[in-house]
Amino acid sequence: MTDLTPITALGGTIARVETYGALSLTENPAMALASLALRKGQSVPSPFGMTLPEPGKWTKSGAIGVYWMAKDQWMVEAEGRAEEDFARVLKVEVPEASVTEQTDGWAAIEITSSKGAAPIKALLEKLVNLDAAAFTHGAALRTGLEHMSVFLIRRAEDRLAVWGMRSSTETLWHALVVAARRLEDI
Amino acid sequence: MLIPHPLLGLRDAQEFTYLGDANLMNRPDPNAPNAEAMFCDYVFLRDNPAGVHRELWYHEQGDRSWLVVTRNTVTHEILGAELASDVALAHREGSK
Amino acid sequence: MTRLSGGLIDRNTSFSFTFDSKTYTGHEGDTLASALLANGVRLMGRSFKYHRPRGVVAAGSEEPNAMVELRSGARTEPNTRATVAELYDGLVAKSQNRIGSLAFDALGVNDYFAPFFAAGFYYKTFMWPRAFWEKLYEPMIRRAAGLGRLSMQADPDSYDKGFLHCDVLVIGAGAAGLAAALASARAGAQVILCDEDFRLGGRLMTESHRLDGAPATDWISSLEAEFETFPNLRIMRRTTVFGVYDHGIYGAVERVSDHAAEPGDKVRQTLWRITAKRAILAAGATERHIPFADNDRPGVMLGAAMRAYANRWAVAPTKSAKDPIAIFTNNDDGHRTALDLMSKNVPILGVIDSRENAPRFGDYDLFAGSMVTGTKGRLGLKEIEITNGGTASWHRCAALGVSGGWNPNVHLASHHRGRPVWDDTLLSFVPGADGPAGLIPAGACAGLGSTAKALADGAKAARTALSELGMKAPDIALPDAEDMPVSQADFWHVPGKKRAWVDFQNDVTVKDIVLAHKENMKPVEHLKRWTTLGMATDQGKTSNVSALAVMAELTGKSIPQTGTTIFRSPYTGVSLSVLGGGDTGVNFRPRRLTPTHTWAKSQGAEFVEVGQWMRAQYFPQAGETDWRESVDREAKAVRKDVGLCDVTTLGKVDVQGADAGEFLNRMYSNMMGTVAVGKVRYGLMLREDGFAYDDGTCARLGEDHYVVTTTTANAGLVYRNMEFARQCLWPELDVQLISTTDAWAQIAIAGPKSRLLLERVVDEFDLSNDAFPFMGCAKLTVCKGLRARLFRISFSGELAYEIAVPARYGNALMARLMELGSDLGVTPYGTEALGVLRIEKGHAAGAELNGQTTAKMLGLGRMVSVKKDSIGAVMSRREGLASDARRLVGLLPVGSTERLMAGSHLFAQGAAQTIETDQGWVTSACYSPHVGGYIGLGYLENGDTRMNEEIIAANPVEGSEMRLRVVPAHFVDPEGERLRD
Repeated sequence: MTDLTPITALGGTIARVETYGALSLTENPAMALASLALRKGQSVPSPFGMTLPEPGKWTKSGAIGVYWMAKDQWMVEAEGRAEEDFARVLKVEVPEASVTEQTDGWAAIEITSSKGAAPIKALLEKLVNLDAAAFTHGAALRTGLEHMSVFLIRRAEDRLAVWGMRSSTETLWHALVVAARRLEDI
Repeated sequence: MLIPHPLLGLRDAQEFTYLGDANLMNRPDPNAPNAEAMFCDYVFLRDNPAGVHRELWYHEQGDRSWLVVTRNTVTHEILGAELASDVALAHREGSK
Repeated sequence: MTRLSGGLIDRNTSFSFTFDSKTYTGHEGDTLASALLANGVRLMGRSFKYHRPRGVVAAGSEEPNAMVELRSGARTEPNTRATVAELYDGLVAKSQNRIGSLAFDALGVNDYFAPFFAAGFYYKTFMWPRAFWEKLYEPMIRRAAGLGRLSMQADPDSYDKGFLHCDVLVIGAGAAGLAAALASARAGAQVILCDEDFRLGGRLMTESHRLDGAPATDWISSLEAEFETFPNLRIMRRTTVFGVYDHGIYGAVERVSDHAAEPGDKVRQTLWRITAKRAILAAGATERHIPFADNDRPGVMLGAAMRAYANRWAVAPTKSAKDPIAIFTNNDDGHRTALDLMSKNVPILGVIDSRENAPRFGDYDLFAGSMVTGTKGRLGLKEIEITNGGTASWHRCAALGVSGGWNPNVHLASHHRGRPVWDDTLLSFVPGADGPAGLIPAGACAGLGSTAKALADGAKAARTALSELGMKAPDIALPDAEDMPVSQADFWHVPGKKRAWVDFQNDVTVKDIVLAHKENMKPVEHLKRWTTLGMATDQGKTSNVSALAVMAELTGKSIPQTGTTIFRSPYTGVSLSVLGGGDTGVNFRPRRLTPTHTWAKSQGAEFVEVGQWMRAQYFPQAGETDWRESVDREAKAVRKDVGLCDVTTLGKVDVQGADAGEFLNRMYSNMMGTVAVGKVRYGLMLREDGFAYDDGTCARLGEDHYVVTTTTANAGLVYRNMEFARQCLWPELDVQLISTTDAWAQIAIAGPKSRLLLERVVDEFDLSNDAFPFMGCAKLTVCKGLRARLFRISFSGELAYEIAVPARYGNALMARLMELGSDLGVTPYGTEALGVLRIEKGHAAGAELNGQTTAKMLGLGRMVSVKKDSIGAVMSRREGLASDARRLVGLLPVGSTERLMAGSHLFAQGAAQTIETDQGWVTSACYSPHVGGYIGLGYLENGDTRMNEEIIAANPVEGSEMRLRVVPAHFVDPEGERLRD
């Protein structure tokens, strides 16, 4: 591997972790990301043996997660593989499809709650205009958050991932921290 | 307003960018003898009815789809929404 | 003290507060108004125009008079209604709209000039002389206008926003709202119950009516206990739903910490955007008064407010038998005030009822067929005149409760222009059938004002909402409640010659309406503007319908024929702070940082905002005192050695698919798709109207894989247009798009020594001119195995490359290149030097692509292919556009070392400088260290045929002009040999 030292989207050499009340925010720089788009008329493939999810959904199998992005387009996540050329790995799985490296196009922030679903729901209500009660395990949506484009994934009732554009991670982190801090007494 | 996205259900209009008259999908034939006049109409003239209107909305803070939304511009009632790509392809089929 | 027994105040918790610097005590559960009344304070403000002494009129958010400046310093909040200001320990309030003390307001003289301030005063008075306007009238009006004053300091508190979604939103937690919320919550629906008050109950808290034979508060308490058990019910106290928007979206403000002196860690208020499938409007009703002579003295208040103060806050305006309380009413409900006060041993003068056949409900003096025709008491009511037929008599009276009937709070039902309809039985407007879709009015706001009817109607509204949502509504047992029919007279104001106030807040009297009628300002819309009736903070909640009635009487028409009143949002005032909400300062909007931001910061770079991006503008070195010094050094280093610049901000779009090339041919004016694999091509994009739009490069990484770049500013728009073309124009093409702007850190390595430097980082890659010529591109690895993309493109005109690596490595790669290039004189450069280099080379940028320029003007006319169609191609050939003869030229000052200004207009020497003789303009200008003086680019009429001609650049704004020589738009290496070397 290269002798250059990478930095996280927040500019550190290690992932930033902060906790406010029940909510912990963790930068996840190890998550690889690549987009998968179907060619015209292509049958829907099953990368890594997975069924590509319906609109608004995320599925996971082992270290691979997939969420719907647009018609005939998905994002494929791979835990711990950000240093690899994961797009190339995916392309081998779906040779007919268009695959694009997205790992550093976005930055993942994983949010976990130590008090179940309620703090995650409260956080969503402060940040994004979606029905937080209906945004349950396995839901994934792209929406606006403080004027930034984000993907939200409900990884579990007590876990939420926010993929934001890498360049604005500092603003995104700030927005999440401000909201989490205001929910400290929940 | 809430836009009934054909794939994602009701989404807040805040997620969308508005373009206007769906006739913008009907780009004139550049090889037609009167192409320039047709393009002038296409580029500069839009219908802006008080009432039912077919409009283009772009789901910019969402799945980046273009939708054709049928909306009453007086009451803001939305009568339907389709993926613009479906509308365009159906139009091609129809004109064959 | 005029405290009574009972009430919903906590006598064990006392709060100390000040009003106009005097200290008082109140209790938890008080409002500022109730606490002031309890302390015997009746005078709370001054009126808007006449500066008349005013006291509290109402007990809720409709209050027109008792407006104060709450808090102090930067937190000072003007025009706060004392009736809804929840008391807290240490509250500080001041009266407003006065010069001097509240009791001796110097502007009180305005009252003596009342005839001067009649309806239409502003329109009539300040017309002449014209010269007086700016110097005299405007400052005078600005001084006198408005009520409270802003602190003029930044708001120190934070505000929040949020989004809620529910099945049923219940607006108002009175009898109807509580029943609706209970039924909906029991049905399992997602329910939100909002009320502007800090306690649930609405008028159940202010009336003495019993539910199931027990105090209403018992029922409320049991309900609150049950509410706690519903996970699907969210109760939002201190939350005003202020507006109804399309498709079931409601705006609400939650006053999170307005009931504390300082919010501490909390936000002050939260703006909620609530998306509700159905909403039940249970907003209640507002009592109206009856205008009579001098009816605005402190002590004259709404009858229902008077009993609200007695029942809920245990306050009566007086307890002295010598100075009793009187009631003036035109309906049965007014008598309840007398009964409630009597039950609390408050002395009553009697009930003055305008009806000859007025019923009697209790043991009090009844003045049937009588009216109040006058009042006395300079700073507070002392006496009232009661007239029966032709006989008038004066009576000592400390407070008068006026009951003119109830106006349903139809406001939110009108927010989509739905017109309220007149109900002849109720003598009031009720919501019409054309209200907002999904909004169901219930209870008193729908005209069903008895407690029993309100409860039943709330439950019925819930059943309607639930069944529309496909849910089953449970039967809920409602408590037994009063259901007294209320009879009422069609009696709107007491006739007379003296001023009788209709709108207290705006000082509009019956006489003003008469005058407006005389002057033909009869439509209600004109009446409002001519008299200012119904304006300002209360928006006529206590006055609009009464004013309509007076106008109806004057025109001889019915009230509904005269007009209705259309309410708009907000229901009550919403502070700009909460509407603005969110962050201020650096986090006001998203900031995008380049991958080398950390490194640039460590180098002391100055940054500049480019759209959302923060880009390094220049890198000052020790000893440099002027930005120009730094920029000149950086630009020179690129021409002489090698420079590094982060160019990540340019938009990058990944284009794949079998038809990707064809798609790009249609998006760009030139043949973009035919670029060979491993090559880059420059491309120009037009708008469909034929003007130049954007430019960039297209690198073909594979047979059906391209990466195109856009300018930084247009990245989002170009992507949107590409999606439009892909989905709406040519959906049959096999094309897939995705942005990769952020994914790759892209660094420009420019200058004659760039190849030397690059050789030190690439892994076994042949950089020779033959192997990797100008406009080549390749995938490779750098720094021992890091995947990268290399493009041999040049913006500076020098031998140059752009190298892209995964964004996380951008910072380290920049540092590595700096380290490895130290012996080569490697120099980081910012956007300023970038600009200088591209102007020297004559490359177009945003200033040249400003939406008014054509490909021909840019000298790129041949880039609009005639062999194929592309966006804008047809229109670029239209008359007028095709014939535009202005061309991009270089411009050199002659005999001047002054700064050349971009934006200057170009004229022939000796020509008059008019729009007709204008020959173009300077698009970009800078100091060129290479040329050793100022240079510019500009569009000049027939510029391509006027080389070496001298022209004039005029800057009429600064009154300066400069002689310029026309030169080719390349100040360095006109043959383009360096970049191909």
